[in-house]
Amino acid sequence: MKLNNMKVRFRLGLLLSLILLLLTGCWSSKEIEDLGLVVGTSLDLETDSSSKEALEEQEARNSNKELITITNQFVTSETTGSGAKEGKKQQKAYKNVSETGDAILPTLRNMMLKNDKRAFAEHSKVIVLGEDFASAFNLTQTMDFFLRELEMRPSALLLIAKNHASNILESNEPTKIPAFQLVEMMKGHKRTTKILPPMTFAKLQGKLNSRASFLLQSVTSENGEVKFAGAAVIKGNTKKLRGFLTGKELEGIKWITGKGKGGLVTSFYEGTDQPIIYEILSMKSKITPHVDGDNISFNVKIESEGRIAEHWVLSEKTFDNKFLKKAERATEKEVERLVKNVLEKIQHEYQADVSEFGTRLRIEYPKVWKKLKKDWDQTFSEVPIQCEVKITIKDYGTSGE
Amino acid sequence: MMINSQDKITASQAVVVLANYILATGILTLPRTSVEKVKSPDVWISVFLGGIIAIIAAVIIVKLSQKYPDKTFYQYSQDIVGKWTGWFLSLLIIVYFFTISAFEVRIMAEVTSLFLLESTPTWAIILPFMWIGLYLISSGINSIARLFEIIFPITFVIFLLVAFMSLGIFEIDNLRPVLGLGVMPVLKGVKTATLAFLGPEIMLLLVALMKQSEKTKAVKVVLVGLTIPLFFYVITVVMVIGALSIDGVVTRTWPTLELMRSFEIPGLIFERFESFLLVIWIMQIFATFTITYFAAALGLAQLFKKNIQPFIFGLLPIIYIISMTPKNINDLFKFGDMIGNAALFLFGVFPVLLLFISRLKGGKT
Repeated sequence: MKLNNMKVRFRLGLLLSLILLLLTGCWSSKEIEDLGLVVGTSLDLETDSSSKEALEEQEARNSNKELITITNQFVTSETTGSGAKEGKKQQKAYKNVSETGDAILPTLRNMMLKNDKRAFAEHSKVIVLGEDFASAFNLTQTMDFFLRELEMRPSALLLIAKNHASNILESNEPTKIPAFQLVEMMKGHKRTTKILPPMTFAKLQGKLNSRASFLLQSVTSENGEVKFAGAAVIKGNTKKLRGFLTGKELEGIKWITGKGKGGLVTSFYEGTDQPIIYEILSMKSKITPHVDGDNISFNVKIESEGRIAEHWVLSEKTFDNKFLKKAERATEKEVERLVKNVLEKIQHEYQADVSEFGTRLRIEYPKVWKKLKKDWDQTFSEVPIQCEVKITIKDYGTSGE
Repeated sequence: MMINSQDKITASQAVVVLANYILATGILTLPRTSVEKVKSPDVWISVFLGGIIAIIAAVIIVKLSQKYPDKTFYQYSQDIVGKWTGWFLSLLIIVYFFTISAFEVRIMAEVTSLFLLESTPTWAIILPFMWIGLYLISSGINSIARLFEIIFPITFVIFLLVAFMSLGIFEIDNLRPVLGLGVMPVLKGVKTATLAFLGPEIMLLLVALMKQSEKTKAVKVVLVGLTIPLFFYVITVVMVIGALSIDGVVTRTWPTLELMRSFEIPGLIFERFESFLLVIWIMQIFATFTITYFAAALGLAQLFKKNIQPFIFGLLPIIYIISMTPKNINDLFKFGDMIGNAALFLFGVFPVLLLFISRLKGGKT
């Protein structure tokens, strides 16, 4: 009996020590020190002809082919470690590596020739496209790799840069990582009407597959300072960049769609031209399509509640209801102006419906939409749009002056 | 082999077995396959109708099985249509069962190697999975049911948690208008949706395996057992389309996983949730794989009136070979469609016919 027990114990012990062998390491593990975490990527059209020639020699490509320059922003164990060290000259917290080629993945793979770290894109947060790049290529084609690649998460953001996209991934502050900053800045869309709600790859897929035009947040870099500036209009039929909307125009779009969560409107007091600043607490808009035979028109009704956050008008007091009414009128006028301006631009200059009129038509008149959706942008440029704005000022903070 | 009289399950276990069988590959691909057919956001209505059709079919199957409460389909089909026709019918159904289990194994391998184990060879993923399945079914329906009882609540909780976390990227406009283009598009999707509810056919044998006192509850079992997956499917379809829009869904290979990858919630311990979904999904695949494997082995054992063990071992290589037959993922999806069509025929048409014939016969005696 005892012997038997010993035997069982021996066997169990043997089994356990065999299992230990399996614990020595993970199959296909990657050491984090050896990884180059890609946190952001920018794509530009290559304009420098000398590098074009060099590449042609290398790969014997057709000379008409446009080339792409890709810049990956890497965060590696070295860059993050040295950023915090004292005494030494401060090093950048990130490392940008660029490479030129004619399709996305081969170019990314060529980056291996320059970089000792294995590129790892699971934590990629943002893709920035250069202005030239976005107007030269169809986005469905160029974004194919990013939508297909498993390492890229659909939660990554897509931005359009004015001028060169690679500049966006540079920063004056060496300890900050520009790609992360962009993502953090994007979160401000709840407090200003000048930033679009984030367009992630998950949402992009649907937009690219429908024929609708859409907006992407655009970003510029001035003297090393990265700044959101308006929005980029992507045309639905070509999937190319058509042009930009300024920050003011973007505010107009936000008012039309009613998707803003907060922000300011600056209007000027009648006569004295002193500014009154209205802070949006809530924003609602109702786009009503009217279909009468072949005639389509829209009615936009915008309602907003808010407060006076600041005013420079010396002659009036917010305790006085009359002043509040006047301020409401002035704000309404300003919002109406914003909306009219942007409608003029998207209807007549860009001929691109980026403000969801099509969506309303699809929801309320699905059969009409089915007929029109193919050339909707064209139709949209001719429809009359009525606009009504109602602003209610609810309070004025702690000062009644 | 006669069924061991001890090896019986209760009605609630039968519900769990049925629900676990139905929930399988469909949950990852249903949003895409149904939107491809319907082409409007009304897919959830199609799914709902599909579920109802499946319930009707299931009730017919149960009614048929309840006429022969102590026999499985493999045994009573011979009583209804004669020895050889019954034998042939049973064989068809056995082939169906092990084909579906091969299909599940392969889908599991494809998804796992894509999302989790990139460089692991397919056989290395499939084999342990199949061996564990073999180990489970070799001790009969009772242990299968008990394992399913563990899997089920985990699935339920994690699935709902993960699905509702995606509310942050949900847009109601993607689901509107409701019935904007009439009912026709909805009807086009009903067949695809019904195929996602493959599974009630297990009632052909499950009734015989239920405890004597609980056999009368079999209709209730299918009602509850099908409502649970129906609920899961509708939530899945609504959340996926709400987030990705119908234009986005059709281009994604695994739309439901895509949804889980589309958001991150910082601040919780985990930021990313697709691995949770994969875990419960693999458990569901395992459930479907084992129950169909068991159904096929039991069928063979009963046809040849032999012990079940040799058939369990004998089927293993066959399932493996079938699972490795489709050359690429498109072939695999086509293979799945084929199984679905076969099922519509086998379990939509035959039970009605058999029920009819047995009624006629019953009237005579």
